[in-house]
Amino acid sequence: MSISTAHPDGGVAGVTDQRDGANTARRILVWDLPTRIGHWLLAGSFALAWLTAESESWRNVHVASGYLFGAVIAFRLVWGFVGTRYARFTQFVKSPRAAWQYLMSLPGSWPQHTVGHNPAGGWAIVALLALGAISVVSGWLSFNEIGGELFEELHEGASTAALAVVLIHLVGVATGSLVHRENLVASMFSGYKRGAASAAIAGARGWAALVLVIWTSAVVTFLMR
Amino acid sequence: MFRLIALPLGIGIALAAHAETPTDLVARYAQQAASSQPGFSASAERGRSFFVRKWNVTDKMPDCASCHTERPDRAGSHVITAKPIKPLAPAANPERFSKLAKVEKWFRRNCTEVVGRECSAAEKADLIEFLVATGGA
Repeated sequence: MSISTAHPDGGVAGVTDQRDGANTARRILVWDLPTRIGHWLLAGSFALAWLTAESESWRNVHVASGYLFGAVIAFRLVWGFVGTRYARFTQFVKSPRAAWQYLMSLPGSWPQHTVGHNPAGGWAIVALLALGAISVVSGWLSFNEIGGELFEELHEGASTAALAVVLIHLVGVATGSLVHRENLVASMFSGYKRGAASAAIAGARGWAALVLVIWTSAVVTFLMR
Repeated sequence: MFRLIALPLGIGIALAAHAETPTDLVARYAQQAASSQPGFSASAERGRSFFVRKWNVTDKMPDCASCHTERPDRAGSHVITAKPIKPLAPAANPERFSKLAKVEKWFRRNCTEVVGRECSAAEKADLIEFLVATGGA
């Protein structure tokens, strides 16, 4: 997995995408580095937690991946307020009505296009952060034998619901990539999409990515000590 | 989203409210076993050999006793996390074998890992029969 921080190459100049009515030929930075690393850490730790969920031999790996997942969520909640443009909650959390209108526009000739998260994807993020937080907290409580079966049931329920949202998210990514003819998975690695130069974020925020890596390592190391 | 959480929670509460006794569960599994083995009746002795048998499927937990010790009427200890495990024998821990859903969940998890496959209804009946016959500490 390679996460590039290279600068825009400028793309093919002068080509206009009629669908957006703007110059979308330029390769612009949209996702900052902590958003990308955080995304893949969430995906990886969630997958690992699922694979080890039923096993006693892998119990410590399950618990550690849960702590990692929780630490990334905590970082992401802060980054949602102080991060770059498209990482901020105020930028991508739209009304449920906006999400519905976006979805309804997809099969038509003029699908709505957004540079950052689309309004439906925004809700998937909110749901995943909320369910993930519930899953981590209830998992920690069960592991420490606080609250008994109630939290055990909550942990399983929230995690299953989170998996359902992940699957919807994957369908959304595939659909969005096809409809808008842009590789959204590649964008989550490189950080780049095509769009107007004015829509780009200023920088990759490498320092914040370093903070994320140090913070998550510290949390997992401390809790697994 | 609320429904997604409320549903499993509701099912959990509904199942938790429905209590069985260990003897009910032995009868239930024995009846299931009898459909493939006519005349089956649960045996504490077979249950005991199942409990102490070394399956050697998983490195650190070759048998039930790895975590539950050879005395199911006493507390065990998780071989990986070292966390205490309450006694398996209902005489020492009345919460054991009182909820079908929970019993099924732990048979599924532990059998898959320690035995290397799902346990049969006959094995479940025998094991619970053995644990019921094991006196309190």
